[in-house]
Amino acid sequence: MAGAIDLLRVKAVIRRQRFVQLRAPQRWFDVIIWPMVDTVIWGSIGLFVDQQGGAGRAGTPYMLSGILLMHVMYQANVSMSCGFLDETWSRNLVNLMVSPLREIEFLAGLMVMSTVRLVAGLAAVAFAAWLLFSFNVTSAGWGLIPAVAILMLVGWVIALLVMALVLRFGDGAEILCWGLLFVIIALSGAFYPISAMPGLLQPIGRLLPSTHAFEAARRLLDGQPMPWGLIARGAAGVAVAVPVAAAVLWRTLHLFRDRGYITRYS
Amino acid sequence: MNVLDASELVKRYKRTTAVDGVSLTIAASERVALLGANGAGKTTTLLMLLGAITPDEGTVTVLGHRLPGGRSEAMERVGFAAGYLPLPTRLRVREVLAYFANMHGVADPDPAIDAGLERFRIPHLADAMATELSSGQRTLVGIIKATLHRPRLLVLDEPTASLDPDVAHRVRVGLEETCDAHSSALLVTSHNMTDVERICERVVFLSHGRVVADGPPASVARQFGRANLEEVFLHIASEERI
Repeated sequence: MAGAIDLLRVKAVIRRQRFVQLRAPQRWFDVIIWPMVDTVIWGSIGLFVDQQGGAGRAGTPYMLSGILLMHVMYQANVSMSCGFLDETWSRNLVNLMVSPLREIEFLAGLMVMSTVRLVAGLAAVAFAAWLLFSFNVTSAGWGLIPAVAILMLVGWVIALLVMALVLRFGDGAEILCWGLLFVIIALSGAFYPISAMPGLLQPIGRLLPSTHAFEAARRLLDGQPMPWGLIARGAAGVAVAVPVAAAVLWRTLHLFRDRGYITRYS
Repeated sequence: MNVLDASELVKRYKRTTAVDGVSLTIAASERVALLGANGAGKTTTLLMLLGAITPDEGTVTVLGHRLPGGRSEAMERVGFAAGYLPLPTRLRVREVLAYFANMHGVADPDPAIDAGLERFRIPHLADAMATELSSGQRTLVGIIKATLHRPRLLVLDEPTASLDPDVAHRVRVGLEETCDAHSSALLVTSHNMTDVERICERVVFLSHGRVVADGPPASVARQFGRANLEEVFLHIASEERI
Protein backbone atom coordinates (compact mmCIF):
# COMPACT_ATOMS: atom_id res chain seq x y z
CA MET A 1 0.00 0.00 0.00
CA ALA A 2 3.05 2.22 0.03
CA GLY A 3 3.40 5.13 -2.37
CA ALA A 4 1.29 8.10 -3.31
CA ILE A 5 -2.30 7.68 -4.45
CA ASP A 6 -2.71 8.30 -8.18
CA LEU A 7 -6.01 10.11 -8.68
CA LEU A 8 -6.23 9.10 -12.34
CA ARG A 9 -6.33 5.46 -11.30
CA VAL A 10 -8.90 6.17 -8.59
CA LYS A 11 -11.07 7.97 -11.18
CA ALA A 12 -10.71 5.00 -13.54
CA VAL A 13 -12.05 2.66 -10.83
CA ILE A 14 -14.93 5.06 -10.12
CA ARG A 15 -15.79 5.34 -13.83
CA ARG A 16 -15.77 1.56 -14.22
CA GLN A 17 -18.07 1.16 -11.19
CA ARG A 18 -20.37 3.87 -12.53
CA PHE A 19 -20.80 1.99 -15.80
CA VAL A 20 -21.47 -1.24 -13.92
CA GLN A 21 -24.16 0.51 -11.87
CA LEU A 22 -25.79 2.25 -14.82
CA ARG A 23 -25.76 -0.76 -17.15
CA ALA A 24 -26.85 -3.47 -14.75
CA PRO A 25 -30.57 -3.05 -14.05
CA GLN A 26 -30.44 -5.62 -11.26
CA ARG A 27 -28.08 -3.32 -9.35
CA TRP A 28 -30.90 -0.80 -8.99
CA PHE A 29 -32.82 -3.41 -7.02
CA ASP A 30 -30.18 -3.24 -4.28
CA VAL A 31 -30.02 0.54 -4.33
CA ILE A 32 -33.68 1.54 -4.72
CA ILE A 33 -36.20 -1.31 -4.67
CA TRP A 34 -34.89 -3.38 -1.76
CA PRO A 35 -34.67 -0.37 0.61
CA MET A 36 -38.24 0.61 -0.28
CA VAL A 37 -39.53 -2.95 0.23
CA ASP A 38 -37.80 -3.02 3.63
CA THR A 39 -39.41 0.27 4.51
CA VAL A 40 -42.87 -1.11 3.72
CA ILE A 41 -42.28 -4.33 5.71
CA TRP A 42 -40.73 -2.79 8.81
CA GLY A 43 -42.87 0.34 8.75
CA SER A 44 -45.99 -1.85 8.63
CA ILE A 45 -44.74 -4.00 11.52
CA GLY A 46 -44.12 -0.82 13.49
CA LEU A 47 -47.59 0.46 12.68
CA PHE A 48 -49.12 -2.83 13.81
CA VAL A 49 -47.23 -2.66 17.12
CA ASP A 50 -48.44 0.93 17.55
CA GLN A 51 -52.02 -0.18 16.97
CA GLN A 52 -51.65 -2.76 19.75
CA GLY A 53 -50.58 0.11 22.00
CA GLY A 54 -47.68 -1.90 23.44
CA ALA A 55 -44.70 0.23 22.52
CA GLY A 56 -45.54 3.65 23.74
CA ARG A 57 -46.73 4.33 20.20
CA ALA A 58 -43.10 4.59 19.08
CA GLY A 59 -43.03 1.40 17.02
CA THR A 60 -43.19 3.04 13.60
CA PRO A 61 -40.42 5.61 14.12
CA TYR A 62 -38.21 2.97 15.80
CA MET A 63 -38.68 0.58 12.93
CA LEU A 64 -38.26 3.21 10.23
CA SER A 65 -35.17 4.76 11.76
CA GLY A 66 -33.85 1.22 12.23
CA ILE A 67 -34.38 0.37 8.58
CA LEU A 68 -32.84 3.67 7.47
CA LEU A 69 -29.73 3.07 9.55
CA MET A 70 -29.58 -0.60 8.66
CA HIS A 71 -29.43 0.44 5.02
CA VAL A 72 -26.45 2.66 5.78
CA MET A 73 -24.54 -0.47 6.74
CA TYR A 74 -26.13 -2.52 3.99
CA GLN A 75 -25.34 -0.11 1.16
CA ALA A 76 -21.84 0.67 2.43
CA ASN A 77 -21.01 -3.04 2.68
CA VAL A 78 -22.77 -4.42 -0.40
CA SER A 79 -21.61 -1.63 -2.73
CA MET A 80 -18.01 -2.07 -1.76
CA SER A 81 -18.04 -5.86 -1.60
CA CYS A 82 -19.84 -6.17 -4.93
CA GLY A 83 -17.40 -3.70 -6.52
CA PHE A 84 -14.67 -6.20 -5.67
CA LEU A 85 -16.76 -9.26 -6.51
CA ASP A 86 -17.49 -7.76 -9.95
CA GLU A 87 -13.79 -8.10 -10.71
CA THR A 88 -13.75 -11.73 -9.61
CA TRP A 89 -16.98 -12.57 -11.46
CA SER A 90 -15.63 -11.07 -14.70
CA ARG A 91 -12.15 -12.61 -14.10
CA ASN A 92 -10.65 -9.15 -14.27
CA LEU A 93 -8.61 -9.69 -11.12
CA VAL A 94 -5.53 -10.81 -13.06
CA ASN A 95 -5.62 -7.67 -15.20
CA LEU A 96 -5.85 -5.49 -12.09
CA MET A 97 -3.13 -7.31 -10.19
CA VAL A 98 -0.60 -6.91 -13.00
CA SER A 99 -1.49 -3.25 -13.52
CA PRO A 100 0.04 -0.35 -11.57
CA LEU A 101 -3.18 -0.06 -9.53
CA ARG A 102 -2.44 0.00 -5.81
CA GLU A 103 -4.79 -1.66 -3.35
CA ILE A 104 -5.49 1.65 -1.62
CA GLU A 105 -6.47 3.26 -4.96
CA PHE A 106 -8.88 0.43 -5.72
CA LEU A 107 -10.44 0.73 -2.26
CA ALA A 108 -10.67 4.53 -2.54
CA GLY A 109 -12.57 4.21 -5.82
CA LEU A 110 -14.94 1.66 -4.30
CA MET A 111 -15.52 3.87 -1.26
CA VAL A 112 -16.52 6.83 -3.42
CA MET A 113 -19.02 4.75 -5.38
CA SER A 114 -20.22 3.13 -2.18
CA THR A 115 -21.00 6.59 -0.77
CA VAL A 116 -22.93 7.55 -3.91
CA ARG A 117 -25.01 4.35 -3.72
CA LEU A 118 -25.50 4.90 0.00
CA VAL A 119 -26.97 8.36 -0.58
CA ALA A 120 -29.29 6.96 -3.27
CA GLY A 121 -30.41 4.11 -1.01
CA LEU A 122 -31.07 6.40 1.94
CA ALA A 123 -33.02 8.76 -0.29
CA ALA A 124 -35.21 5.81 -1.34
CA VAL A 125 -35.91 4.85 2.29
CA ALA A 126 -36.53 8.46 3.29
CA PHE A 127 -38.93 9.00 0.41
CA ALA A 128 -40.86 5.78 1.06
CA ALA A 129 -41.05 6.51 4.83
CA TRP A 130 -42.39 10.00 4.16
CA LEU A 131 -44.84 8.92 1.45
CA LEU A 132 -46.22 5.80 3.12
CA PHE A 133 -45.89 6.51 6.84
CA SER A 134 -45.57 10.31 7.04
CA PHE A 135 -42.27 9.80 8.80
CA ASN A 136 -39.71 12.55 8.45
CA VAL A 137 -36.20 11.10 8.73
CA THR A 138 -34.83 14.50 9.69
CA SER A 139 -36.97 14.53 12.85
CA ALA A 140 -34.03 13.13 14.81
CA GLY A 141 -32.00 16.16 13.73
CA TRP A 142 -28.36 16.53 12.72
CA GLY A 143 -27.39 14.27 15.57
CA LEU A 144 -28.01 11.33 13.26
CA ILE A 145 -24.98 12.24 11.16
CA PRO A 146 -22.34 10.82 13.53
CA ALA A 147 -24.40 7.65 13.91
CA VAL A 148 -24.62 7.35 10.10
CA ALA A 149 -20.85 7.86 9.80
CA ILE A 150 -20.16 5.08 12.32
CA LEU A 151 -22.51 2.69 10.54
CA MET A 152 -20.97 3.50 7.15
CA LEU A 153 -17.53 2.65 8.52
CA VAL A 154 -18.87 -0.59 10.03
CA GLY A 155 -20.27 -1.45 6.57
CA TRP A 156 -16.85 -0.86 5.03
CA VAL A 157 -15.16 -2.94 7.74
CA ILE A 158 -17.45 -5.85 6.87
CA ALA A 159 -16.64 -5.32 3.16
CA LEU A 160 -12.89 -5.47 3.84
CA LEU A 161 -13.37 -8.74 5.74
CA VAL A 162 -15.52 -10.16 2.93
CA MET A 163 -12.81 -9.29 0.39
CA ALA A 164 -10.22 -11.00 2.57
CA LEU A 165 -12.38 -14.11 2.88
CA VAL A 166 -13.00 -14.27 -0.89
CA LEU A 167 -9.28 -13.87 -1.59
CA ARG A 168 -8.48 -16.62 0.89
CA PHE A 169 -11.27 -19.12 0.20
CA GLY A 170 -12.38 -18.26 -3.34
CA ASP A 171 -15.74 -17.30 -4.80
CA GLY A 172 -17.64 -19.63 -2.47
CA ALA A 173 -17.07 -17.13 0.33
CA GLU A 174 -19.03 -14.42 -1.47
CA ILE A 175 -22.21 -15.48 0.34
CA LEU A 176 -20.65 -13.87 3.42
CA CYS A 177 -21.10 -10.47 1.80
CA TRP A 178 -24.73 -10.67 2.86
CA GLY A 179 -24.50 -13.31 5.60
CA LEU A 180 -21.93 -11.53 7.74
CA LEU A 181 -23.84 -8.27 7.40
CA PHE A 182 -27.10 -9.70 8.71
CA VAL A 183 -25.34 -11.38 11.64
CA ILE A 184 -23.88 -8.00 12.62
CA ILE A 185 -27.24 -6.28 12.15
CA ALA A 186 -28.97 -8.84 14.38
CA LEU A 187 -26.33 -8.54 17.10
CA SER A 188 -26.33 -4.73 16.91
CA GLY A 189 -29.99 -4.31 17.82
CA ALA A 190 -30.93 -2.35 14.73
CA PHE A 191 -34.65 -2.49 15.62
CA TYR A 192 -34.53 -3.13 19.36
CA PRO A 193 -32.37 -2.27 22.36
CA ILE A 194 -29.85 -5.02 23.06
CA SER A 195 -31.48 -5.48 26.47
CA ALA A 196 -34.21 -7.24 24.46
CA MET A 197 -31.70 -9.78 23.12
CA PRO A 198 -30.90 -13.13 24.79
CA GLY A 199 -28.54 -12.52 27.69
CA LEU A 200 -25.86 -14.68 26.12
CA LEU A 201 -25.63 -12.43 23.08
CA GLN A 202 -25.76 -9.06 24.83
CA PRO A 203 -22.01 -8.87 25.64
CA ILE A 204 -21.23 -9.52 21.99
CA GLY A 205 -23.68 -6.81 20.95
CA ARG A 206 -22.04 -4.31 23.29
CA LEU A 207 -18.68 -4.91 21.62
CA LEU A 208 -19.99 -3.84 18.22
CA PRO A 209 -19.67 -0.14 17.33
CA SER A 210 -22.90 -0.35 15.35
CA THR A 211 -24.86 -1.19 18.53
CA HIS A 212 -24.00 2.20 20.03
CA ALA A 213 -24.90 4.02 16.82
CA PHE A 214 -28.34 2.38 16.64
CA GLU A 215 -28.98 3.11 20.32
CA ALA A 216 -27.89 6.73 19.88
CA ALA A 217 -30.35 7.13 17.01
CA ARG A 218 -33.23 5.74 19.10
CA ARG A 219 -32.49 8.18 21.92
CA LEU A 220 -32.48 11.08 19.49
CA LEU A 221 -35.86 9.94 18.17
CA ASP A 222 -37.15 9.92 21.74
CA GLY A 223 -36.21 13.60 21.92
CA GLN A 224 -33.30 13.06 24.31
CA PRO A 225 -30.15 15.20 24.04
CA MET A 226 -27.25 14.10 21.85
CA PRO A 227 -25.90 10.88 23.43
CA TRP A 228 -22.22 11.73 23.09
CA GLY A 229 -21.19 8.82 25.27
CA LEU A 230 -22.71 6.31 22.86
CA ILE A 231 -21.25 8.11 19.86
CA ALA A 232 -17.82 8.10 21.51
CA ARG A 233 -18.08 4.36 22.19
CA GLY A 234 -19.11 3.72 18.60
CA ALA A 235 -16.29 5.90 17.27
CA ALA A 236 -13.76 4.14 19.48
CA GLY A 237 -15.04 0.82 18.17
CA VAL A 238 -14.54 1.77 14.51
CA ALA A 239 -11.16 3.31 15.34
CA VAL A 240 -10.13 -0.22 16.32
CA ALA A 241 -12.14 -2.16 13.73
CA VAL A 242 -11.00 -0.26 10.61
CA PRO A 243 -7.25 -0.83 11.07
CA VAL A 244 -7.85 -4.44 12.17
CA ALA A 245 -9.93 -5.17 9.03
CA ALA A 246 -7.37 -3.39 6.82
CA ALA A 247 -4.59 -5.46 8.39
CA VAL A 248 -6.54 -8.69 7.82
CA LEU A 249 -7.05 -7.77 4.15
CA TRP A 250 -3.40 -6.76 3.76
CA ARG A 251 -2.20 -10.02 5.29
CA THR A 252 -4.59 -12.04 3.12
CA LEU A 253 -3.33 -10.28 -0.01
CA HIS A 254 0.19 -11.35 0.91
CA LEU A 255 -1.04 -14.91 1.37
CA PHE A 256 -2.92 -14.66 -1.96
CA ARG A 257 0.31 -13.76 -3.74
CA ASP A 258 2.45 -16.22 -1.74
CA ARG A 259 0.21 -19.18 -2.50
CA GLY A 260 -0.47 -18.22 -6.12
CA TYR A 261 -4.25 -18.07 -5.64
CA ILE A 262 -4.41 -15.70 -8.63
CA THR A 263 -4.31 -18.82 -10.82
CA ARG A 264 -7.94 -19.44 -9.76
CA TYR A 265 -8.82 -16.48 -11.95
CA SER A 266 -6.49 -17.12 -14.91
CA MET B 1 19.81 -1.55 -19.01
CA ASN B 2 17.82 -4.77 -19.02
CA VAL B 3 14.07 -4.30 -18.84
CA LEU B 4 13.78 -7.52 -16.87
CA ASP B 5 16.14 -9.35 -14.51
CA ALA B 6 14.83 -12.46 -12.82
CA SER B 7 17.20 -14.61 -10.83
CA GLU B 8 16.78 -18.19 -9.56
CA LEU B 9 13.01 -18.09 -9.24
CA VAL B 10 11.44 -20.94 -7.34
CA LYS B 11 7.73 -21.52 -6.75
CA ARG B 12 6.39 -24.51 -4.91
CA TYR B 13 2.77 -25.44 -4.54
CA LYS B 14 1.47 -28.10 -2.15
CA ARG B 15 2.35 -31.18 -4.18
CA THR B 16 4.62 -29.80 -6.87
CA THR B 17 7.44 -27.44 -7.69
CA ALA B 18 6.02 -25.37 -10.54
CA VAL B 19 9.14 -23.27 -11.14
CA ASP B 20 12.54 -24.54 -10.09
CA GLY B 21 15.38 -22.04 -10.41
CA VAL B 22 14.42 -20.04 -13.49
CA SER B 23 16.65 -17.08 -14.35
CA LEU B 24 15.74 -14.76 -17.19
CA THR B 25 16.99 -11.42 -18.43
CA ILE B 26 15.47 -9.42 -21.26
CA ALA B 27 17.27 -6.51 -22.88
CA ALA B 28 15.56 -3.39 -24.20
CA SER B 29 13.67 -4.08 -27.45
CA GLU B 30 14.49 -7.80 -27.28
CA ARG B 31 11.77 -10.25 -28.34
CA VAL B 32 11.74 -13.42 -26.29
CA ALA B 33 9.44 -16.43 -26.32
CA LEU B 34 8.92 -18.52 -23.20
CA LEU B 35 8.05 -22.01 -24.41
CA GLY B 36 7.14 -25.34 -22.94
CA ALA B 37 4.43 -27.95 -22.70
CA ASN B 38 1.33 -27.45 -20.56
CA GLY B 39 2.38 -27.45 -16.92
CA ALA B 40 6.01 -26.59 -17.69
CA GLY B 41 5.74 -23.48 -15.49
CA LYS B 42 5.30 -20.71 -18.07
CA THR B 43 2.26 -18.95 -16.63
CA THR B 44 3.52 -19.20 -13.04
CA THR B 45 6.81 -17.71 -14.21
CA LEU B 46 5.01 -14.87 -16.02
CA LEU B 47 2.83 -14.12 -13.01
CA MET B 48 5.93 -13.97 -10.80
CA LEU B 49 7.61 -11.61 -13.26
CA LEU B 50 4.51 -9.39 -13.09
CA GLY B 51 4.24 -9.39 -9.30
CA ALA B 52 0.95 -11.31 -9.08
CA ILE B 53 2.65 -14.32 -7.46
CA THR B 54 5.46 -13.99 -4.93
CA PRO B 55 8.35 -16.36 -5.60
CA ASP B 56 9.44 -18.62 -2.73
CA GLU B 57 13.03 -17.92 -3.73
CA GLY B 58 14.78 -15.60 -6.16
CA THR B 59 14.39 -11.99 -7.18
CA VAL B 60 12.60 -10.04 -9.90
CA THR B 61 13.61 -6.57 -11.05
CA VAL B 62 11.54 -4.86 -13.74
CA LEU B 63 12.85 -1.64 -15.28
CA GLY B 64 15.04 -1.08 -12.25
CA HIS B 65 12.22 -1.64 -9.74
CA ARG B 66 12.59 -4.61 -7.42
CA LEU B 67 9.36 -6.53 -6.83
CA PRO B 68 7.23 -6.72 -4.81
CA GLY B 69 7.97 -3.28 -3.30
CA GLY B 70 8.31 -1.49 -6.65
CA ARG B 71 5.46 -3.35 -8.36
CA SER B 72 3.26 -0.33 -9.09
CA GLU B 73 6.09 1.79 -10.51
CA ALA B 74 7.38 -1.14 -12.59
CA MET B 75 3.97 -1.99 -14.03
CA GLU B 76 3.46 1.58 -15.23
CA ARG B 77 5.76 0.68 -18.15
CA VAL B 78 4.70 -2.93 -18.59
CA GLY B 79 1.77 -4.13 -20.70
CA PHE B 80 0.09 -7.51 -20.23
CA ALA B 81 -2.52 -9.43 -22.19
CA ALA B 82 -3.59 -13.06 -22.12
CA GLY B 83 -5.62 -14.77 -24.80
CA TYR B 84 -7.64 -16.67 -22.22
CA LEU B 85 -8.72 -13.66 -20.14
CA PRO B 86 -12.10 -12.01 -20.72
CA LEU B 87 -12.49 -8.24 -20.79
CA PRO B 88 -14.27 -6.39 -17.98
CA THR B 89 -18.05 -6.61 -18.16
CA ARG B 90 -20.50 -3.72 -18.76
CA LEU B 91 -17.99 -1.66 -20.73
CA ARG B 92 -17.73 -0.76 -24.39
CA VAL B 93 -14.42 -1.41 -26.13
CA ARG B 94 -13.37 2.24 -26.02
CA GLU B 95 -14.23 2.38 -22.31
CA VAL B 96 -12.21 -0.78 -21.58
CA LEU B 97 -9.23 0.72 -23.36
CA ALA B 98 -9.60 4.08 -21.60
CA TYR B 99 -9.90 2.29 -18.25
CA PHE B 100 -6.59 0.48 -18.64
CA ALA B 101 -4.88 3.47 -20.26
CA ASN B 102 -5.82 5.55 -17.21
CA MET B 103 -4.47 2.79 -14.97
CA HIS B 104 -1.13 3.20 -16.73
CA GLY B 105 -1.10 6.98 -16.41
CA VAL B 106 -2.45 7.99 -19.84
CA ALA B 107 -4.77 10.91 -19.02
CA ASP B 108 -6.04 11.48 -22.58
CA PRO B 109 -6.15 8.02 -24.13
CA ASP B 110 -8.35 8.71 -27.19
CA PRO B 111 -5.53 9.28 -29.73
CA ALA B 112 -3.73 6.11 -28.60
CA ILE B 113 -7.01 4.16 -28.63
CA ASP B 114 -7.81 5.29 -32.19
CA ALA B 115 -4.29 4.45 -33.36
CA GLY B 116 -4.42 1.02 -31.69
CA LEU B 117 -7.80 0.14 -33.17
CA GLU B 118 -6.54 1.20 -36.62
CA ARG B 119 -3.31 -0.77 -36.24
CA PHE B 120 -5.22 -3.99 -35.54
CA ARG B 121 -7.91 -3.11 -38.13
CA ILE B 122 -10.86 -3.03 -35.73
CA PRO B 123 -11.91 0.66 -35.52
CA HIS B 124 -15.52 -0.44 -36.11
CA LEU B 125 -15.54 -2.17 -32.71
CA ALA B 126 -14.89 0.97 -30.67
CA ASP B 127 -18.49 1.21 -29.47
CA ALA B 128 -19.24 -2.50 -29.20
CA MET B 129 -19.82 -4.01 -25.76
CA ALA B 130 -16.65 -5.85 -24.78
CA THR B 131 -18.56 -8.95 -23.71
CA GLU B 132 -20.13 -9.29 -27.18
CA LEU B 133 -16.83 -9.71 -29.01
CA SER B 134 -15.65 -12.95 -30.59
CA SER B 135 -12.59 -14.56 -29.03
CA GLY B 136 -10.40 -13.23 -31.84
CA GLN B 137 -11.72 -9.68 -31.46
CA ARG B 138 -11.30 -9.93 -27.70
CA THR B 139 -7.67 -10.96 -28.16
CA LEU B 140 -7.00 -8.00 -30.42
CA VAL B 141 -8.61 -5.59 -27.95
CA GLY B 142 -6.58 -7.19 -25.15
CA ILE B 143 -3.34 -6.56 -27.02
CA ILE B 144 -4.33 -2.96 -27.80
CA LYS B 145 -5.13 -2.55 -24.10
CA ALA B 146 -1.61 -3.72 -23.25
CA THR B 147 0.10 -1.32 -25.65
CA LEU B 148 -1.73 2.03 -25.21
CA HIS B 149 0.85 3.37 -22.77
CA ARG B 150 3.87 2.50 -24.97
CA PRO B 151 5.21 -0.13 -22.59
CA ARG B 152 8.94 -0.80 -22.34
CA LEU B 153 8.07 -4.46 -21.78
CA LEU B 154 5.08 -6.19 -23.33
CA VAL B 155 4.12 -9.54 -21.79
CA LEU B 156 1.67 -11.74 -23.68
CA ASP B 157 0.39 -15.11 -22.52
CA GLU B 158 -0.87 -17.26 -25.41
CA PRO B 159 -1.89 -14.32 -27.62
CA THR B 160 -2.68 -16.43 -30.68
CA ALA B 161 -4.35 -19.38 -28.95
CA SER B 162 -7.48 -20.52 -30.83
CA LEU B 163 -7.35 -17.70 -33.38
CA ASP B 164 -8.09 -18.20 -37.05
CA PRO B 165 -5.15 -17.63 -39.45
CA ASP B 166 -6.32 -14.15 -40.45
CA VAL B 167 -6.60 -12.86 -36.88
CA ALA B 168 -3.35 -14.59 -35.90
CA HIS B 169 -1.68 -12.82 -38.82
CA ARG B 170 -3.09 -9.47 -37.65
CA VAL B 171 -1.78 -10.15 -34.15
CA ARG B 172 1.70 -10.92 -35.47
CA VAL B 173 1.86 -7.89 -37.78
CA GLY B 174 0.34 -5.57 -35.19
CA LEU B 175 2.74 -6.79 -32.52
CA GLU B 176 5.78 -6.28 -34.71
CA GLU B 177 4.61 -2.78 -35.66
CA THR B 178 3.88 -1.91 -32.03
CA CYS B 179 7.21 -3.20 -30.72
CA ASP B 180 9.06 -1.37 -33.51
CA ALA B 181 7.15 1.87 -32.96
CA HIS B 182 7.60 1.93 -29.17
CA SER B 183 10.93 0.07 -28.95
CA SER B 184 9.15 -2.33 -26.62
CA ALA B 185 10.72 -5.55 -25.46
CA LEU B 186 8.43 -8.56 -25.85
CA LEU B 187 8.02 -11.63 -23.68
CA VAL B 188 5.49 -14.03 -25.12
CA THR B 189 4.32 -17.56 -24.42
CA SER B 190 2.84 -19.56 -27.24
CA HIS B 191 2.28 -23.08 -28.47
CA ASN B 192 2.46 -21.89 -32.06
CA MET B 193 6.10 -22.38 -33.05
CA THR B 194 5.59 -20.75 -36.45
CA ASP B 195 4.49 -17.52 -34.78
CA VAL B 196 7.42 -17.70 -32.40
CA GLU B 197 9.97 -18.16 -35.17
CA ARG B 198 8.51 -15.20 -37.03
CA ILE B 199 8.30 -12.79 -34.12
CA CYS B 200 11.02 -13.68 -31.62
CA GLU B 201 14.77 -13.50 -31.85
CA ARG B 202 15.30 -15.63 -28.75
CA VAL B 203 13.48 -18.57 -27.22
CA VAL B 204 13.61 -19.97 -23.70
CA PHE B 205 12.34 -23.52 -23.24
CA LEU B 206 11.00 -24.62 -19.87
CA SER B 207 10.55 -28.19 -18.77
CA HIS B 208 9.54 -29.28 -15.27
CA GLY B 209 9.94 -25.66 -14.18
CA ARG B 210 13.54 -25.41 -15.37
CA VAL B 211 15.19 -23.66 -18.30
CA VAL B 212 16.43 -26.37 -20.67
CA ALA B 213 17.35 -24.17 -23.64
CA ASP B 214 17.93 -20.47 -24.20
CA GLY B 215 19.05 -18.84 -27.45
CA PRO B 216 18.08 -17.87 -30.98
CA PRO B 217 15.51 -20.27 -32.53
CA ALA B 218 17.93 -21.68 -35.08
CA SER B 219 20.68 -22.39 -32.56
CA VAL B 220 18.23 -23.99 -30.10
CA ALA B 221 17.01 -26.25 -32.91
CA ARG B 222 20.65 -27.17 -33.69
CA GLN B 223 21.37 -27.78 -30.00
CA PHE B 224 18.68 -30.47 -29.99
CA GLY B 225 19.57 -31.79 -33.45
CA ARG B 226 16.17 -30.81 -34.85
CA ALA B 227 15.12 -28.99 -37.98
CA ASN B 228 12.88 -26.39 -36.30
CA LEU B 229 11.27 -25.29 -33.03
CA GLU B 230 8.19 -27.44 -33.58
CA GLU B 231 10.37 -30.55 -33.45
CA VAL B 232 12.26 -29.24 -30.43
CA PHE B 233 8.97 -28.62 -28.68
CA LEU B 234 7.73 -32.15 -29.42
CA HIS B 235 11.04 -33.62 -28.27
CA ILE B 236 10.99 -31.72 -24.96
CA ALA B 237 7.31 -32.44 -24.41
CA SER B 238 7.81 -36.16 -24.98
CA GLU B 239 10.72 -36.21 -22.51
CA GLU B 240 8.50 -34.41 -20.00
CA ARG B 241 5.87 -37.16 -20.29
CA ILE B 242 8.55 -39.74 -19.48
